[in-house]
Amino acid sequence: MHIPDGYLSPQTYIPLYGVFAAAVTVAVKKVKKEVSARDIPYLGMAAAFSFIIMMFNLPIPGGTTGHAVGSAVIAILFGPWAAVVAVSVALIIQALIFGDGGITAIGANCFNMAVFMPFTAYYVFRLFNFNPTRKARVFFAAFISGYLSLVMAAILTGIEFGIQPLIASSTDGKALYCPYDLKIAVPAMALEHMLLFGIVEGLITAIIVRYFLRNEPGIIYAFRKGGKNENE
Amino acid sequence: MENKIPLYLIEIGDNQVNPSKIRRANLSFLDKTIINSSKALKSIYLQAENAARDNFIQEINPKVKFISLIYMAIVISVVSNLVTQEFITAFIFSLYVIARLKIFGVFKKIFFLAFIFGFLVVLPASLNVITPGKIIFNIISFNKPSHFLIYNIPQNIGFTINGLQVVSIVFLRVFNSVSFALLVVYTTPFPSFIKSFKMIGVPDTFLMIISLAYKYIFILSRTIEETYFAFKSRLSGNIKSSNIRKLIGGRIFFIFKRSMIIYQDTYHAMVSRGYRGKVVLHSQNHFTFKDVVALLIIFISGIVFILF
Repeated sequence: MHIPDGYLSPQTYIPLYGVFAAAVTVAVKKVKKEVSARDIPYLGMAAAFSFIIMMFNLPIPGGTTGHAVGSAVIAILFGPWAAVVAVSVALIIQALIFGDGGITAIGANCFNMAVFMPFTAYYVFRLFNFNPTRKARVFFAAFISGYLSLVMAAILTGIEFGIQPLIASSTDGKALYCPYDLKIAVPAMALEHMLLFGIVEGLITAIIVRYFLRNEPGIIYAFRKGGKNENE
Repeated sequence: MENKIPLYLIEIGDNQVNPSKIRRANLSFLDKTIINSSKALKSIYLQAENAARDNFIQEINPKVKFISLIYMAIVISVVSNLVTQEFITAFIFSLYVIARLKIFGVFKKIFFLAFIFGFLVVLPASLNVITPGKIIFNIISFNKPSHFLIYNIPQNIGFTINGLQVVSIVFLRVFNSVSFALLVVYTTPFPSFIKSFKMIGVPDTFLMIISLAYKYIFILSRTIEETYFAFKSRLSGNIKSSNIRKLIGGRIFFIFKRSMIIYQDTYHAMVSRGYRGKVVLHSQNHFTFKDVVALLIIFISGIVFILF
Protein backbone atom coordinates (compact mmCIF):
# COMPACT_ATOMS: atom_id res chain seq x y z
CA MET A 1 0.00 0.00 0.00
CA HIS A 2 2.95 2.35 0.52
CA ILE A 3 3.47 3.94 -2.89
CA PRO A 4 7.19 4.45 -3.62
CA ASP A 5 8.71 7.29 -5.62
CA GLY A 6 8.57 6.88 -9.38
CA TYR A 7 5.09 5.39 -9.62
CA LEU A 8 3.03 8.57 -9.65
CA SER A 9 3.29 11.47 -12.09
CA PRO A 10 3.48 15.09 -10.83
CA GLN A 11 -0.09 15.53 -12.18
CA THR A 12 -1.18 13.02 -9.53
CA TYR A 13 1.09 13.58 -6.55
CA ILE A 14 0.89 17.40 -6.48
CA PRO A 15 -2.95 17.58 -6.18
CA LEU A 16 -2.88 14.76 -3.60
CA TYR A 17 -0.34 16.75 -1.56
CA GLY A 18 -2.81 19.63 -1.63
CA VAL A 19 -5.75 17.50 -0.49
CA PHE A 20 -3.67 15.93 2.26
CA ALA A 21 -2.40 19.33 3.50
CA ALA A 22 -5.98 20.65 3.68
CA ALA A 23 -7.17 17.52 5.53
CA VAL A 24 -4.33 17.72 8.09
CA THR A 25 -4.95 21.43 8.71
CA VAL A 26 -8.62 20.74 9.47
CA ALA A 27 -7.72 17.64 11.50
CA VAL A 28 -5.27 19.51 13.78
CA LYS A 29 -7.91 22.19 14.45
CA LYS A 30 -10.68 19.63 15.10
CA VAL A 31 -8.55 17.52 17.44
CA LYS A 32 -7.33 20.56 19.38
CA LYS A 33 -10.97 21.44 20.05
CA GLU A 34 -11.77 17.92 21.22
CA VAL A 35 -8.87 17.11 23.53
CA SER A 36 -7.90 20.33 25.36
CA ALA A 37 -4.35 21.64 25.92
CA ARG A 38 -3.00 18.13 26.39
CA ASP A 39 -3.54 17.46 22.68
CA ILE A 40 0.05 17.71 21.45
CA PRO A 41 1.64 14.90 23.48
CA TYR A 42 -1.61 12.94 23.12
CA LEU A 43 -1.38 13.05 19.33
CA GLY A 44 2.32 12.26 19.43
CA MET A 45 1.46 9.20 21.46
CA ALA A 46 -1.30 8.19 19.03
CA ALA A 47 1.15 8.54 16.12
CA ALA A 48 3.76 6.41 17.88
CA PHE A 49 1.05 3.88 18.70
CA SER A 50 0.00 3.81 15.04
CA PHE A 51 3.62 3.31 14.00
CA ILE A 52 4.06 0.43 16.43
CA ILE A 53 0.84 -1.26 15.25
CA MET A 54 2.28 -1.27 11.73
CA MET A 55 5.22 -3.23 13.11
CA PHE A 56 3.13 -6.14 14.44
CA ASN A 57 3.05 -8.94 11.92
CA LEU A 58 0.27 -11.51 12.07
CA PRO A 59 0.47 -15.05 10.65
CA ILE A 60 -1.59 -15.58 7.49
CA PRO A 61 -2.67 -19.03 6.19
CA GLY A 62 0.05 -20.24 3.84
CA GLY A 63 2.94 -19.59 6.18
CA THR A 64 3.46 -15.91 5.48
CA THR A 65 2.78 -12.87 7.66
CA GLY A 66 1.29 -9.46 7.04
CA HIS A 67 0.99 -6.24 9.00
CA ALA A 68 -1.90 -3.92 9.52
CA VAL A 69 -1.94 -0.25 8.55
CA GLY A 70 -3.67 0.50 11.84
CA SER A 71 -5.81 3.35 10.52
CA ALA A 72 -9.07 1.56 11.34
CA VAL A 73 -8.18 0.79 14.93
CA ILE A 74 -6.78 4.29 15.50
CA ALA A 75 -10.00 5.81 14.06
CA ILE A 76 -12.21 3.67 16.35
CA LEU A 77 -10.08 4.29 19.45
CA PHE A 78 -9.14 7.97 18.98
CA GLY A 79 -11.64 9.25 16.41
CA PRO A 80 -11.21 9.81 12.65
CA TRP A 81 -9.65 13.30 12.86
CA ALA A 82 -7.07 12.19 15.42
CA ALA A 83 -6.38 9.22 13.14
CA VAL A 84 -5.71 11.60 10.24
CA VAL A 85 -2.96 13.32 12.26
CA ALA A 86 -1.58 10.19 13.95
CA VAL A 87 -1.38 7.96 10.88
CA SER A 88 0.01 10.84 8.75
CA VAL A 89 2.82 11.39 11.23
CA ALA A 90 3.55 7.64 11.34
CA LEU A 91 3.64 7.49 7.52
CA ILE A 92 5.88 10.58 7.24
CA ILE A 93 8.36 9.10 9.73
CA GLN A 94 8.26 5.78 7.88
CA ALA A 95 8.95 7.47 4.55
CA LEU A 96 11.77 9.67 5.87
CA ILE A 97 13.56 7.27 8.19
CA PHE A 98 12.87 3.85 6.72
CA GLY A 99 12.30 4.64 3.03
CA ASP A 100 8.92 2.91 3.27
CA GLY A 101 6.88 4.99 0.79
CA GLY A 102 8.25 7.71 -1.45
CA ILE A 103 8.93 11.38 -0.70
CA THR A 104 6.89 12.53 -3.70
CA ALA A 105 4.21 10.00 -2.76
CA ILE A 106 3.80 11.15 0.88
CA GLY A 107 0.69 13.15 -0.05
CA ALA A 108 -0.86 10.19 -1.89
CA ASN A 109 0.03 7.66 0.82
CA CYS A 110 -1.30 9.91 3.56
CA PHE A 111 -4.47 10.62 1.60
CA ASN A 112 -5.12 6.89 1.05
CA MET A 113 -4.15 5.53 4.46
CA ALA A 114 -4.48 8.50 6.80
CA VAL A 115 -7.48 10.38 5.40
CA PHE A 116 -9.66 8.06 3.30
CA MET A 117 -9.12 4.89 5.33
CA PRO A 118 -9.84 6.15 8.89
CA PHE A 119 -13.07 7.87 7.83
CA THR A 120 -14.24 4.79 5.93
CA ALA A 121 -13.41 2.56 8.92
CA TYR A 122 -15.01 4.86 11.47
CA TYR A 123 -18.29 5.26 9.59
CA VAL A 124 -18.50 1.57 8.69
CA PHE A 125 -18.05 0.79 12.42
CA ARG A 126 -20.71 3.33 13.35
CA LEU A 127 -23.10 1.87 10.73
CA PHE A 128 -23.60 -1.20 12.90
CA ASN A 129 -25.23 0.94 15.59
CA PHE A 130 -24.87 -1.67 18.32
CA ASN A 131 -24.75 -1.85 22.06
CA PRO A 132 -21.13 -1.98 23.36
CA THR A 133 -22.06 -4.78 25.80
CA ARG A 134 -22.55 -7.18 22.88
CA LYS A 135 -18.91 -8.06 22.51
CA ALA A 136 -19.30 -10.52 19.62
CA ARG A 137 -20.99 -7.86 17.51
CA VAL A 138 -18.33 -5.31 18.42
CA PHE A 139 -15.67 -7.81 17.33
CA PHE A 140 -17.51 -8.43 14.05
CA ALA A 141 -18.07 -4.70 13.42
CA ALA A 142 -14.41 -3.93 14.11
CA PHE A 143 -13.31 -6.73 11.77
CA ILE A 144 -15.60 -5.51 8.96
CA SER A 145 -14.53 -1.88 9.39
CA GLY A 146 -10.84 -2.82 9.27
CA TYR A 147 -11.36 -5.18 6.35
CA LEU A 148 -13.54 -2.89 4.23
CA SER A 149 -11.54 0.27 4.86
CA LEU A 150 -8.29 -1.38 3.77
CA VAL A 151 -9.84 -2.99 0.68
CA MET A 152 -11.41 0.33 -0.36
CA ALA A 153 -8.15 2.20 0.25
CA ALA A 154 -6.37 -0.44 -1.85
CA ILE A 155 -8.88 0.07 -4.69
CA LEU A 156 -8.26 3.83 -4.45
CA THR A 157 -4.51 3.20 -4.66
CA GLY A 158 -5.16 0.91 -7.66
CA ILE A 159 -7.05 3.73 -9.39
CA GLU A 160 -4.16 6.14 -8.73
CA PHE A 161 -1.77 3.59 -10.27
CA GLY A 162 -4.12 2.72 -13.13
CA ILE A 163 -4.60 6.27 -14.39
CA GLN A 164 -0.84 6.82 -14.85
CA PRO A 165 -0.59 5.29 -18.36
CA LEU A 166 -3.55 7.49 -19.36
CA ILE A 167 -2.14 10.79 -18.11
CA ALA A 168 1.63 10.32 -18.51
CA SER A 169 2.98 8.41 -21.49
CA SER A 170 5.80 9.12 -23.94
CA THR A 171 5.15 9.95 -27.59
CA ASP A 172 5.69 6.29 -28.57
CA GLY A 173 3.11 5.14 -25.99
CA LYS A 174 5.55 3.94 -23.32
CA ALA A 175 4.40 4.42 -19.71
CA LEU A 176 6.52 7.00 -17.90
CA TYR A 177 5.32 6.08 -14.40
CA CYS A 178 3.28 3.11 -13.15
CA PRO A 179 2.98 0.94 -16.27
CA TYR A 180 -0.20 -0.91 -15.25
CA ASP A 181 -3.53 0.40 -16.50
CA LEU A 182 -6.84 0.32 -14.61
CA LYS A 183 -7.70 -3.17 -15.91
CA ILE A 184 -4.61 -4.57 -14.17
CA ALA A 185 -3.88 -2.24 -11.24
CA VAL A 186 -7.38 -2.17 -9.71
CA PRO A 187 -8.07 -5.96 -9.74
CA ALA A 188 -4.51 -6.68 -8.55
CA MET A 189 -4.72 -4.30 -5.61
CA ALA A 190 -8.30 -5.30 -4.76
CA LEU A 191 -7.76 -9.08 -4.87
CA GLU A 192 -4.52 -9.00 -2.90
CA HIS A 193 -6.14 -6.96 -0.14
CA MET A 194 -9.47 -8.82 -0.20
CA LEU A 195 -7.83 -12.21 0.17
CA LEU A 196 -4.83 -11.39 2.35
CA PHE A 197 -4.10 -8.02 3.89
CA GLY A 198 -7.75 -7.06 4.45
CA ILE A 199 -8.11 -10.10 6.70
CA VAL A 200 -4.99 -9.10 8.65
CA GLU A 201 -6.25 -5.52 9.05
CA GLY A 202 -9.69 -6.79 10.12
CA LEU A 203 -8.24 -9.23 12.64
CA ILE A 204 -5.81 -6.71 14.14
CA THR A 205 -8.62 -4.13 14.42
CA ALA A 206 -11.02 -6.63 16.01
CA ILE A 207 -8.46 -8.07 18.45
CA ILE A 208 -7.36 -4.66 19.71
CA VAL A 209 -10.89 -3.22 19.95
CA ARG A 210 -12.05 -6.33 21.85
CA TYR A 211 -9.13 -6.01 24.26
CA PHE A 212 -9.91 -2.34 24.90
CA LEU A 213 -13.60 -3.13 25.30
CA ARG A 214 -12.82 -5.67 28.02
CA ASN A 215 -10.25 -3.61 29.85
CA GLU A 216 -10.92 0.09 29.25
CA PRO A 217 -14.11 0.65 27.25
CA GLY A 218 -14.22 4.34 28.24
CA ILE A 219 -11.23 5.09 26.00
CA ILE A 220 -12.96 3.96 22.79
CA TYR A 221 -13.93 7.13 20.90
CA ALA A 222 -16.55 5.40 18.73
CA PHE A 223 -18.56 4.56 21.87
CA ARG A 224 -18.28 8.08 23.22
CA LYS A 225 -19.49 9.89 20.12
CA GLY A 226 -23.19 9.93 19.22
CA GLY A 227 -25.87 7.36 18.43
CA LYS A 228 -26.62 4.23 20.38
CA ASN A 229 -22.90 3.64 20.71
CA GLU A 230 -22.59 6.56 23.08
CA ASN A 231 -21.90 5.43 26.63
CA GLU A 232 -21.22 8.70 28.35
CA MET B 1 9.02 -50.09 38.69
CA GLU B 2 5.57 -48.75 39.54
CA ASN B 3 4.42 -45.51 38.02
CA LYS B 4 4.19 -43.01 40.88
CA ILE B 5 3.08 -39.98 38.90
CA PRO B 6 -0.13 -38.64 40.51
CA LEU B 7 -3.26 -39.22 38.43
CA TYR B 8 -4.17 -35.52 38.23
CA LEU B 9 -0.96 -34.90 36.29
CA ILE B 10 -1.70 -37.66 33.75
CA GLU B 11 -5.43 -37.10 33.20
CA ILE B 12 -6.65 -34.49 30.76
CA GLY B 13 -9.29 -32.39 32.43
CA ASP B 14 -12.09 -30.33 30.89
CA ASN B 15 -10.04 -27.18 30.81
CA GLN B 16 -6.95 -28.90 29.48
CA VAL B 17 -6.13 -29.84 25.92
CA ASN B 18 -4.19 -32.86 24.81
CA PRO B 19 -0.87 -31.33 23.71
CA SER B 20 -0.61 -33.72 20.75
CA LYS B 21 -3.94 -32.47 19.36
CA ILE B 22 -3.22 -28.74 19.60
CA ARG B 23 -2.68 -27.03 16.31
CA ARG B 24 0.43 -25.23 17.31
CA ALA B 25 2.00 -22.15 15.88
CA ASN B 26 5.43 -20.96 16.77
CA LEU B 27 6.30 -17.44 17.72
CA SER B 28 8.69 -16.83 14.85
CA PHE B 29 6.56 -14.00 13.41
CA LEU B 30 6.59 -12.26 16.79
CA ASP B 31 10.35 -12.69 16.84
CA LYS B 32 10.40 -11.03 13.42
CA THR B 33 8.34 -8.16 14.76
CA ILE B 34 10.68 -7.67 17.67
CA ILE B 35 13.71 -7.96 15.39
CA ASN B 36 12.15 -5.35 13.08
CA SER B 37 11.55 -3.03 16.03
CA SER B 38 15.09 -3.59 17.14
CA LYS B 39 16.39 -2.88 13.62
CA ALA B 40 14.36 0.33 13.57
CA LEU B 41 15.97 1.32 16.83
CA LYS B 42 19.45 0.57 15.51
CA SER B 43 18.66 2.49 12.34
CA ILE B 44 17.79 5.53 14.43
CA TYR B 45 21.02 5.11 16.40
CA LEU B 46 22.97 4.89 13.15
CA GLN B 47 21.26 7.97 11.80
CA ALA B 48 21.98 9.97 14.95
CA GLU B 49 25.61 8.77 14.95
CA ASN B 50 26.26 9.74 11.31
CA ALA B 51 24.41 13.03 11.56
CA ALA B 52 26.62 14.12 14.44
CA ARG B 53 29.88 13.75 12.46
CA ASP B 54 31.84 16.77 11.31
CA ASN B 55 31.76 16.74 7.55
CA PHE B 56 30.89 19.04 4.65
CA ILE B 57 27.45 17.49 4.00
CA GLN B 58 26.65 16.92 7.69
CA GLU B 59 27.36 20.59 8.43
CA ILE B 60 24.99 21.96 5.77
CA ASN B 61 21.94 23.75 7.16
CA PRO B 62 18.96 21.33 7.47
CA LYS B 63 16.82 23.87 5.60
CA VAL B 64 19.10 23.57 2.57
CA LYS B 65 18.92 19.79 2.79
CA PHE B 66 15.14 19.90 3.01
CA ILE B 67 14.87 22.16 -0.08
CA SER B 68 17.34 19.88 -1.87
CA LEU B 69 15.33 16.79 -0.97
CA ILE B 70 12.09 18.18 -2.38
CA TYR B 71 13.85 19.62 -5.44
CA MET B 72 15.72 16.40 -6.23
CA ALA B 73 12.61 14.26 -5.64
CA ILE B 74 10.80 16.35 -8.27
CA VAL B 75 13.79 16.26 -10.66
CA ILE B 76 14.05 12.46 -10.35
CA SER B 77 10.31 12.09 -10.91
CA VAL B 78 10.25 14.20 -14.11
CA VAL B 79 13.41 12.85 -15.77
CA SER B 80 12.37 10.06 -18.16
CA ASN B 81 15.69 9.48 -19.88
CA LEU B 82 17.52 6.34 -18.80
CA VAL B 83 21.03 7.76 -19.28
CA THR B 84 20.18 10.89 -17.28
CA GLN B 85 18.85 8.73 -14.44
CA GLU B 86 22.17 6.88 -14.45
CA PHE B 87 24.00 10.22 -14.16
CA ILE B 88 21.77 11.08 -11.21
CA THR B 89 22.73 7.73 -9.61
CA ALA B 90 26.42 8.58 -10.05
CA PHE B 91 25.86 12.10 -8.68
CA ILE B 92 24.11 10.80 -5.55
CA PHE B 93 26.77 8.13 -5.03
CA SER B 94 29.49 10.81 -5.14
CA LEU B 95 27.58 12.69 -2.41
CA TYR B 96 27.62 9.52 -0.29
CA VAL B 97 31.39 9.31 -0.74
CA ILE B 98 31.80 12.96 0.29
CA ALA B 99 29.55 12.39 3.33
CA ARG B 100 31.74 9.40 4.35
CA LEU B 101 28.72 7.29 5.21
CA LYS B 102 28.89 3.52 5.73
CA ILE B 103 28.15 2.96 2.06
CA PHE B 104 27.80 -0.85 2.15
CA GLY B 105 25.20 -0.84 4.92
CA VAL B 106 23.13 2.00 3.47
CA PHE B 107 23.22 0.72 -0.11
CA LYS B 108 22.22 -2.77 1.04
CA LYS B 109 19.03 -1.21 2.34
CA ILE B 110 18.57 0.94 -0.79
CA PHE B 111 19.05 -2.07 -3.10
CA PHE B 112 16.56 -4.10 -1.08
CA LEU B 113 13.87 -1.41 -1.30
CA ALA B 114 14.56 -0.67 -4.98
CA PHE B 115 14.59 -4.39 -5.84
CA ILE B 116 11.19 -5.01 -4.21
CA PHE B 117 9.33 -1.84 -5.24
CA GLY B 118 11.24 -0.81 -8.34
CA PHE B 119 11.99 -4.16 -9.93
CA LEU B 120 9.86 -7.11 -8.78
CA VAL B 121 6.58 -5.19 -8.79
CA VAL B 122 7.12 -3.73 -12.27
CA LEU B 123 8.86 -6.73 -13.84
CA PRO B 124 5.65 -8.01 -15.55
CA ALA B 125 5.53 -4.65 -17.36
CA SER B 126 8.51 -5.78 -19.42
CA LEU B 127 6.25 -8.31 -21.17
CA ASN B 128 4.38 -7.45 -24.37
CA VAL B 129 1.08 -8.20 -22.57
CA ILE B 130 1.50 -4.91 -20.71
CA THR B 131 3.99 -2.92 -22.79
CA PRO B 132 3.51 -3.61 -26.50
CA GLY B 133 6.58 -3.67 -28.71
CA LYS B 134 8.99 -5.91 -30.57
CA ILE B 135 9.65 -9.13 -28.61
CA ILE B 136 13.37 -9.67 -28.00
CA PHE B 137 13.03 -12.79 -25.83
CA ASN B 138 10.06 -15.11 -26.27
CA ILE B 139 8.80 -16.89 -23.12
CA ILE B 140 5.69 -18.75 -24.25
CA SER B 141 3.75 -19.28 -27.50
CA PHE B 142 0.09 -20.26 -27.93
CA ASN B 143 -1.71 -21.60 -31.02
CA LYS B 144 -3.65 -18.40 -31.48
CA PRO B 145 -4.39 -15.12 -29.63
CA SER B 146 -7.18 -15.43 -27.07
CA HIS B 147 -9.44 -13.33 -24.90
CA PHE B 148 -9.99 -13.84 -21.16
CA LEU B 149 -12.58 -11.68 -19.37
CA ILE B 150 -11.40 -8.13 -20.17
CA TYR B 151 -7.85 -9.16 -21.12
CA ASN B 152 -6.40 -9.85 -24.56
CA ILE B 153 -3.74 -12.57 -24.58
CA PRO B 154 -1.40 -12.42 -27.63
CA GLN B 155 -0.12 -15.52 -29.41
CA ASN B 156 3.46 -14.94 -28.24
CA ILE B 157 4.40 -13.62 -24.82
CA GLY B 158 7.89 -12.28 -24.18
CA PHE B 159 10.09 -9.39 -23.11
CA THR B 160 10.04 -6.25 -25.23
CA ILE B 161 12.63 -3.46 -25.52
CA ASN B 162 10.01 -0.89 -24.57
CA GLY B 163 9.00 -2.99 -21.56
CA LEU B 164 12.57 -3.36 -20.31
CA GLN B 165 13.06 0.40 -20.68
CA VAL B 166 9.94 1.04 -18.58
CA VAL B 167 11.19 -1.35 -15.86
CA SER B 168 14.66 0.23 -15.93
CA ILE B 169 13.35 3.78 -15.60
CA VAL B 170 11.02 2.89 -12.70
CA PHE B 171 13.80 0.96 -10.96
CA LEU B 172 16.26 3.86 -11.29
CA ARG B 173 13.65 6.37 -10.12
CA VAL B 174 12.95 4.33 -6.98
CA PHE B 175 16.67 3.72 -6.43
CA ASN B 176 17.64 7.38 -6.85
CA SER B 177 14.79 8.72 -4.74
CA VAL B 178 15.43 6.34 -1.86
CA SER B 179 19.19 6.93 -1.97
CA PHE B 180 18.85 10.74 -1.97
CA ALA B 181 16.24 10.65 0.82
CA LEU B 182 18.43 8.39 2.97
CA LEU B 183 21.48 10.57 2.27
CA VAL B 184 19.64 13.56 3.72
CA VAL B 185 18.22 11.57 6.63
CA TYR B 186 21.55 9.97 7.53
CA THR B 187 23.39 13.30 7.51
CA THR B 188 20.86 15.42 9.40
CA PRO B 189 19.68 15.17 13.01
CA PHE B 190 15.99 14.31 12.74
CA PRO B 191 14.64 17.08 15.07
CA SER B 192 16.51 19.78 13.08
CA PHE B 193 15.33 18.28 9.83
CA ILE B 194 11.71 18.30 11.01
CA LYS B 195 11.97 21.99 12.01
CA SER B 196 12.98 22.83 8.44
CA PHE B 197 9.47 21.76 7.33
CA LYS B 198 8.39 25.20 8.58
CA MET B 199 9.72 26.64 5.35
CA ILE B 200 6.80 25.24 3.37
CA GLY B 201 4.23 26.39 5.92
CA VAL B 202 3.80 23.20 7.96
CA PRO B 203 2.34 24.40 11.28
CA ASP B 204 4.45 24.22 14.46
CA THR B 205 1.82 22.04 16.12
CA PHE B 206 2.16 19.35 13.47
CA LEU B 207 5.96 19.48 13.64
CA MET B 208 5.82 19.15 17.42
CA ILE B 209 3.66 16.04 17.03
CA ILE B 210 6.17 14.52 14.61
CA SER B 211 9.06 15.25 17.00
CA LEU B 212 7.21 13.76 19.97
CA ALA B 213 6.10 10.69 17.99
CA TYR B 214 9.70 10.14 16.89
CA LYS B 215 10.85 10.14 20.51
CA TYR B 216 7.96 7.96 21.69
CA ILE B 217 8.73 5.39 18.98
CA PHE B 218 12.28 5.26 20.24
CA ILE B 219 11.13 4.61 23.82
CA LEU B 220 8.31 2.22 22.88
CA SER B 221 10.53 0.07 20.69
CA ARG B 222 12.77 -0.61 23.66
CA THR B 223 9.77 -1.30 25.88
CA ILE B 224 8.43 -3.86 23.39
CA GLU B 225 11.75 -5.63 23.13
CA GLU B 226 12.28 -5.83 26.88
CA THR B 227 8.75 -7.00 27.74
CA TYR B 228 8.68 -9.54 24.94
CA PHE B 229 11.95 -11.17 25.92
CA ALA B 230 10.87 -11.15 29.58
CA PHE B 231 7.69 -12.94 28.49
CA LYS B 232 9.51 -15.40 26.23
CA SER B 233 12.01 -16.32 28.92
CA ARG B 234 9.10 -17.67 30.99
CA LEU B 235 7.68 -19.69 28.10
CA SER B 236 8.48 -23.31 27.25
CA GLY B 237 7.53 -24.86 23.92
CA ASN B 238 5.00 -23.49 21.49
CA ILE B 239 1.59 -21.99 22.19
CA LYS B 240 -1.79 -22.18 20.48
CA SER B 241 -2.62 -19.76 17.63
CA SER B 242 -5.63 -18.43 19.55
CA ASN B 243 -3.36 -17.63 22.49
CA ILE B 244 -0.99 -15.85 20.13
CA ARG B 245 -3.84 -13.57 19.02
CA LYS B 246 -4.65 -12.87 22.68
CA LEU B 247 -0.97 -12.25 23.30
CA ILE B 248 -0.76 -9.71 20.47
CA GLY B 249 -3.91 -7.95 21.72
CA GLY B 250 -2.45 -7.89 25.22
CA ARG B 251 0.93 -6.62 24.06
CA ILE B 252 -0.63 -3.82 22.02
CA PHE B 253 -2.89 -2.87 24.93
CA PHE B 254 0.14 -2.87 27.22
CA ILE B 255 2.01 -0.62 24.76
CA PHE B 256 -0.99 1.68 24.72
CA LYS B 257 -1.01 1.89 28.53
CA ARG B 258 2.74 2.56 28.56
CA SER B 259 2.19 5.22 25.88
CA MET B 260 -0.47 6.87 28.04
CA ILE B 261 1.90 7.02 31.02
CA ILE B 262 4.71 8.44 28.89
CA TYR B 263 2.36 10.98 27.33
CA GLN B 264 1.09 12.12 30.74
CA ASP B 265 4.67 12.42 32.03
CA THR B 266 5.62 14.38 28.91
CA TYR B 267 2.65 16.68 29.34
CA HIS B 268 3.55 17.40 32.98
CA ALA B 269 7.19 17.98 32.03
CA MET B 270 6.05 20.41 29.31
CA VAL B 271 3.71 22.25 31.69
CA SER B 272 6.52 22.59 34.25
CA ARG B 273 8.62 24.23 31.48
CA GLY B 274 5.93 26.75 30.64
CA TYR B 275 3.76 24.95 28.07
CA ARG B 276 0.26 26.50 27.97
CA GLY B 277 -1.14 24.82 24.87
CA LYS B 278 0.57 27.03 22.29
CA VAL B 279 3.46 25.56 20.33
CA VAL B 280 6.24 27.79 18.99
CA LEU B 281 9.36 26.17 17.56
CA HIS B 282 12.54 28.23 17.62
CA SER B 283 13.96 29.16 14.24
CA GLN B 284 17.27 27.69 13.19
CA ASN B 285 20.62 29.32 12.44
CA HIS B 286 21.17 31.43 9.33
CA PHE B 287 22.58 30.36 5.98
CA THR B 288 26.37 30.34 5.62
CA PHE B 289 28.48 30.61 2.47
CA LYS B 290 28.80 26.80 2.49
CA ASP B 291 25.00 26.44 2.50
CA VAL B 292 24.62 28.78 -0.47
CA VAL B 293 27.31 26.85 -2.42
CA ALA B 294 25.59 23.52 -1.63
CA LEU B 295 22.22 24.90 -2.71
CA LEU B 296 23.67 26.23 -5.97
CA ILE B 297 25.35 22.89 -6.77
CA ILE B 298 22.08 21.02 -6.26
CA PHE B 299 20.03 23.60 -8.15
CA ILE B 300 22.35 23.71 -11.19
CA SER B 301 22.69 19.91 -11.22
CA GLY B 302 18.91 19.56 -11.23
CA ILE B 303 18.56 21.96 -14.17
CA VAL B 304 21.27 20.08 -16.08
CA PHE B 305 19.55 16.73 -15.41
CA ILE B 306 16.21 18.04 -16.65
CA LEU B 307 17.64 19.66 -19.81
CA PHE B 308 20.05 16.81 -20.62
